[in-house]
Amino acid sequence: MGKVAYITLYILVFSLLCTGYAGNVFAGMPEIHGFAEADFGLKIASDDTKRDDYNLFEQRLQLKSAYFFEGENLLVEKSAAVNFKADFVVDEYYSGKTSFDLRELNFSFTPFDFMDTKLGRQILTWGTGDYLFLNDLFPKDYISFFTGRDDEYLKKPSDGARIMLYPKHVNLDLVFIPIFEPNETPKGDRLSFFDSFQGGIAGRDSDRDISKPPRQIKNSVYAARAYRNFGSYEGALYLYRGFDPSPKSYKNEATRQLYYERLDAYGSSIRGPIFDGIGNAEVSYYYSPEDSKGNIRTVQNSMVKYLLGYEKDMGNDLRLGFQYMLEQTLNYKQYRNALLATDYSWDEFRHILTNRITKYFVNQTVKLSVFTFFSPSDMDAYTRPSVTWNITDAWTWTTGADLIWGKDDTTELGNMKKNKNIFTRVRYSF
Amino acid sequence: MKRSISYLLLGAFVLMLAVSTSFAQEFTVEQIVEKANLASYYAGNDGKSDVNMTITDSQGRTRKREFRILRLDIEDGKDQKFYVYFKKPSDVAKMVFMVWKHPDADDDRWLYLPALDLVRRIASSDKRSSFVGSHFLYEDVSGRGIDADTHALVDSSGDYYKIKNIPKSTKGVEFAYYFVWVDKANFLPMKAEYYNAQDELMRIIEALEVSEIKGHPTVVRSVAKDFERGGETLMEFNNIKYDNGLTEDIFTERYLRRAPIKWVK
Repeated sequence: MGKVAYITLYILVFSLLCTGYAGNVFAGMPEIHGFAEADFGLKIASDDTKRDDYNLFEQRLQLKSAYFFEGENLLVEKSAAVNFKADFVVDEYYSGKTSFDLRELNFSFTPFDFMDTKLGRQILTWGTGDYLFLNDLFPKDYISFFTGRDDEYLKKPSDGARIMLYPKHVNLDLVFIPIFEPNETPKGDRLSFFDSFQGGIAGRDSDRDISKPPRQIKNSVYAARAYRNFGSYEGALYLYRGFDPSPKSYKNEATRQLYYERLDAYGSSIRGPIFDGIGNAEVSYYYSPEDSKGNIRTVQNSMVKYLLGYEKDMGNDLRLGFQYMLEQTLNYKQYRNALLATDYSWDEFRHILTNRITKYFVNQTVKLSVFTFFSPSDMDAYTRPSVTWNITDAWTWTTGADLIWGKDDTTELGNMKKNKNIFTRVRYSF
Repeated sequence: MKRSISYLLLGAFVLMLAVSTSFAQEFTVEQIVEKANLASYYAGNDGKSDVNMTITDSQGRTRKREFRILRLDIEDGKDQKFYVYFKKPSDVAKMVFMVWKHPDADDDRWLYLPALDLVRRIASSDKRSSFVGSHFLYEDVSGRGIDADTHALVDSSGDYYKIKNIPKSTKGVEFAYYFVWVDKANFLPMKAEYYNAQDELMRIIEALEVSEIKGHPTVVRSVAKDFERGGETLMEFNNIKYDNGLTEDIFTERYLRRAPIKWVK
């Protein structure tokens, strides 16, 4: 669809909604909700991306609805529903480029008392980390995360089937995604990053090529979770068979080609009350079948990730959270031995500490939040302060910053340090 | 004959007196508190209601909250489970808040954020924080453990038992003591006044309207006023139904992620 058509549709739907007709005119139609939002992110560091002044400047209209079948038929009996959520975006960063971002379009139903299913485009999340994902290998949008869009956009939708089984003793979640969907990672046009081919932090000069796995049935993604409660404690086991969602391995260095190497993950987690707060522990073993011995220098090694977290309610609407994560590269010796003299190299251990402070003011209408990542081993940090003000039930104003610091250009957070920004969002919900 | 009638009358009068005094003294303060707790938070085996909240701040600005609340009693006077499904405002629509209430320990609380498909566990050591930004506190909504306070009956004349409650532990409690007026007829607490250590009135919760629903006298409209922060919240209950046959499986992660259409529609 052309740009004009998009804008026409946008204006039409928006004006219908603004005048409050949507619910009434189409009698029998499901309710439509959503929001209109304007976002702006002022850049406070310089790099070689497309724009010098800002890295976020867009308007979006989100519409969402759910349709529950009515009457007396099998669909009603099976609690069938269709869920829809989509964003119309006008992106000024790309000179007013319009896009239609279908976030959810799925059909959910309960075929048996012990089973739920959801088919179609959906958001998938599991695991216990706060902004740290071990066993949740579903696609994320890190461009949204680093530019200051709402948290909602950190999760990218997946197209697939989810089957949830609830037999007596343990619950099972089975996910099948026919076509692997990778993370949205910096490419140099909007966000700069460390590009080994450029030998430093790169922007538009980055010319790497990232190839997705071929669309074949053997390249489907499978994920599973088994979980249950033990009193107040929640235990879970996880399984993932797919690809590393971020491109870390090289397919062909001469042609600057990266790819998503095969990845299997096995993990577990526990979460529950401890020391007057909520504690969580999670572990995940990442097995890299293409480099199981660790001696191929261009392919990511196997890894183990450990996470410990704790959150406490301090009273007076103040909440504090802390996490510690350790990432260990396995077969590290083999990896070191395989490296060439000119290669960039990574440490065997990476330690990450995080802190979240959440405080509400004025009858919980003003929320102050600060989330900080800090790695003592990488000597880099990323802090995300933000203030959200619910001016009325409909209007919300958020402003915050993405402040990234790093001693080196190569580390996971440090390579993002030229993307510092101060962002603001104004949203009207309906 | 005349004499025997007067004896009979006297006898009846004595009996009546005895009955009425024993009626008045039949309940110890602990019994009243227990009955009030059951009457206000444990009616039926389960309950379902639509709640409209109007939050008015100190400057007169209002906000609305609309949610469906489902409650299941695991044991009368003890553990309960709550499922709160938000309908309005639209930015929190479909969000679910779930509580497993343990009067003798910290509650278990979960929050489901549909946009992220995220089930969050919420630390709940502070039961005296505001519920969804209103002037009601978590403890007002789910009930304060009756063993958390010492109780004294300070006045039993008139239609109400006036009970003074002093917290056993001051940790995490903003008041020094509070009075509760319990209706003698149905044991519903009709008013609560919270005072600070300087004997200043801090907040009031008051039942504005009571209806009898399926034999259970039920508060259908109540208000919480905060004299320190200013402002008040009006809470109105609609479509109240008891003994719906709710089952424990509704209060699990399954229905956090997928709201039970039958119960939230």
